Amino acid sequence: MKKSSIFGLVVIAIAIAVIISVYSNSSTYGSFKDASNTNSELHIVGHLNKNKQLLYDATKDANYFSFYMKDNKGEECKVVFTGAKPQDFERSEQIVLTGQMQGNEFHATHILMKCPSKYTQDKVEITEAKAKQASI
Amino acid sequence: MDNPFKGEHLLPGHLGQFFTILAFGSSLFAAISYYFATNNPTDISWKRLGRIGARINMIAVVGIGACLYYIIINHLFEYYYAWEHSSRALPTHYIISSFWDGQEGSFWLWTFWQGVLSNILIWKAKSWESPVLAVISLSQAIVATMLIGVEIFGSRIGTSPFILLRDAINLKESAPIFATNPELYHNYLTYIKDGNGMNPLLQNYWMVIHPPTLFLGFASMVVPFAYAIAGLWQKRYTEWIKPALSYSLFAMMVLGTGIIMGAFWAYESLSFGGFWAWDPVENASIIPWLILVGAVHVMIVYKNTKHSYITATILTLTSFVLVLYASFLTRSGVLGDTSVHAFTDAGMFWHLVADVVIFLVLAVVLLAIRWKELPRTTKDEETYSREFWMFVGAIFLCLSCFHLVVVSSIPVWNLMFGTKLAPPIDPVKHYNIVQASFAVVVTLLTGFTQFLKYKKTDSAKFFISTVVYLVVAALITLPIIYFTGANKLQFVFILIMMGAIYSVLANGKVLIDAFKGKLKLAGSAVAHIGFGLIMIGALISAGTSKVISENTTGQDFGADFVKVKNNPRENIILYKNAPVVMGKYTVTYIGDSIAAPNHYFKVNYKVIDAAGKVTEEFLLKPNAQANAKMGLIATPDTKHYLFSDLYTHVNMSNAIAVGEGTEAAGHDEADDDKKYEAPIPYEVAVGDTIRFRDGYVVLRSIGKVDKVQDITLNDKDVAIGAKLHVVANSKTYDAEPIYMIRNNNAFDFARKVEDAGLKLRFTKVLPQKGKVEITLYQQPESAKKWIVMRAIQFPDINFLWSGTIIMVIGILLSIFRRNKELKTA
Repeated sequence: MKKSSIFGLVVIAIAIAVIISVYSNSSTYGSFKDASNTNSELHIVGHLNKNKQLLYDATKDANYFSFYMKDNKGEECKVVFTGAKPQDFERSEQIVLTGQMQGNEFHATHILMKCPSKYTQDKVEITEAKAKQASI
Repeated sequence: MDNPFKGEHLLPGHLGQFFTILAFGSSLFAAISYYFATNNPTDISWKRLGRIGARINMIAVVGIGACLYYIIINHLFEYYYAWEHSSRALPTHYIISSFWDGQEGSFWLWTFWQGVLSNILIWKAKSWESPVLAVISLSQAIVATMLIGVEIFGSRIGTSPFILLRDAINLKESAPIFATNPELYHNYLTYIKDGNGMNPLLQNYWMVIHPPTLFLGFASMVVPFAYAIAGLWQKRYTEWIKPALSYSLFAMMVLGTGIIMGAFWAYESLSFGGFWAWDPVENASIIPWLILVGAVHVMIVYKNTKHSYITATILTLTSFVLVLYASFLTRSGVLGDTSVHAFTDAGMFWHLVADVVIFLVLAVVLLAIRWKELPRTTKDEETYSREFWMFVGAIFLCLSCFHLVVVSSIPVWNLMFGTKLAPPIDPVKHYNIVQASFAVVVTLLTGFTQFLKYKKTDSAKFFISTVVYLVVAALITLPIIYFTGANKLQFVFILIMMGAIYSVLANGKVLIDAFKGKLKLAGSAVAHIGFGLIMIGALISAGTSKVISENTTGQDFGADFVKVKNNPRENIILYKNAPVVMGKYTVTYIGDSIAAPNHYFKVNYKVIDAAGKVTEEFLLKPNAQANAKMGLIATPDTKHYLFSDLYTHVNMSNAIAVGEGTEAAGHDEADDDKKYEAPIPYEVAVGDTIRFRDGYVVLRSIGKVDKVQDITLNDKDVAIGAKLHVVANSKTYDAEPIYMIRNNNAFDFARKVEDAGLKLRFTKVLPQKGKVEITLYQQPESAKKWIVMRAIQFPDINFLWSGTIIMVIGILLSIFRRNKELKTA
């Protein structure tokens, strides 16, 4: 067998390994109900319940922020985020959370929100907040 | 035509719109003319027509720019683009950069650079001119369609920057008064006083320089693509690589610089907390770059050995198709909620798809037609040859790129296959691990390939030098990782460290040899050393960066707090003038300075040694803009040392909302008292001390005063003041509250010590006891000014930046070398 054929096979093997690792690392979008049935982290899309309390008091704890979110199936759940409250959170139209259930609360490690941009009517901006600092 | 709307300046818009059509028409004309010029090389008139088309196109593109610039600089807010992206308050350099704040402007940058390159190629490309310019003009025509913004068959093609505000936004809907009163509606411009202005996050000097650089990089990638197509088309298979090499190196240098500029921008002034976040938009810029780097290496292999022709061609073609794919990813809105800063769909989804498909089909069909004729070598490459391992390295770059494409495109897969995959939960970790594995291979290859020669190398000699350098690299790596703390990282990162050091050493040797005479080899050696340093810098700074603002105060956080998982807490609250110890620093928020619209928080850092002596002191001024439209926009401030950076970023503050100096005298006293905790009266004699939360107050003396603010005292009035010495948070203040009797009524004048959050009143005189009563009002913790901040230490990040500069210098040297070869050949 030629060296280039062997190399070609190695490359294909690595490519397959990449696809498998991405697939196994990828998570799913779910609801709060799915979250309470699983121990792994997942993404939940929903919107903020603006009628309920948003709790963030920097003078008590600069890293505790809680709010109530309704997922796309209409189920509501209290969400706790360990970090500072993202700017303009109240204005968010849509929220994507990453995290898992802890008892009755959803503990988010990552919040990504979409706000209607005050700058333009036809463009939306997205901002995100992370609980932990990104590090390798 | 009578325009019922008053005050509009329609001419620049009409002119600009004319130029967009002209730009499209002329580039299409140029593409067609050059196509025929290529197929009829004897007929010189086609070529002449093509040149005219390309030059008119350049004029039209400059014309579009001039019209848009005129609109923006003169604040003609009747145009949507000016209204959306600029405002009167913007300083000139940001007005210039608001030009490319939107999609249309960035397309303009692209078409502008592509036009400039076309003209350079008309001048330089000689026999390649016709086929190469046919391809570039086609690309130019397609970019022009993105800017046309005309409706055809009911759907709008592209978005024009010359759309009027009243066409883009339904004014009657947003302001109902316009709907009922046509007179007012016709005067709508008098109500549009100012534009939206630029997003404060983008108001940074990098916004002036980063997009033009990045788009020059993207635009220049069309040149090697055009050469590759021309080579296939004209069956000049073996010839195109030589002239295309310099352009590829140029594209690699400029795009690389643009990408790192973006990283530096993110690091310096955005609140990512790092220089790279693996955001799909960041990935989109690095995807074509990686393939291009691979392509350049395989082109060099082909040039030296005649091996790997097909790979060189395919990689060159792919790199440009990936530029278009990246443009589709970032501009079509497909990334949706997976990216922080992607554009949303401006109605160009299929238009952008078409752009990718056209060039992909062109490349694939041409390759398929010519496939059988393409030059191949039947001989297998030698294992101990430079070309074989360069080829392997290029393929690994492609695999790394493949991984980025697969993950960044998850929303695309969902769209195509109806799946519901979400990106990895911890994408940064996922990317880091997988990409690190590829980086290990690539850095090692950039090292040991230097010991190989083209064609055939003496294997014994090769193994000796490889192993010797590898051992030396390992010996250097060990102390470095222990010293920096990188040894706690995953094993693969330690391997990169070793690979990168190895690469720097091996290429250092080549560089030394180069100075001894083989000067033409210097370029690649310098570029590889730069790449190695980038890896080292990125690894240490990202891997061992440390949040030093850990919240370790044992405050009562309430019942909710207990339930929270024990995550590292990275935000700390600093009350004004209350020092907090963070790592080796004693950090104090000492005040604010305001230069509208920026609000700088002065944060004082001190290093105090064991003896209590201050060994180092500096001030950081992270800034926030209280933007009426966007809320608090924070910009970090960074202290740069040679071997580490200290990054400070304010997340939140009450100082900025309260405003300065609003608590001046004259306020309703009862109202004012609400800001304080319940007052506590103290009976004190001269010399006594009153303690409070942050310090103490000493009554120094009591004495008669002659003047109380603006009240004129007469003989019958009695006014006495209590001279108080206040010590709060190891700072001292003096205050003198006053007690006054006039017409048998007692008054008192309180004094405030704002910094200490105190209000002091002289409320009673108790002659029998020889004492006076001082009432102390203390602000509750929450009413005092505070900031919530995060501080991160990034060690050795300077390797990353200096590595970039070195890499750019290296590529530049290579460009000179290849250009020289072209002339001598």
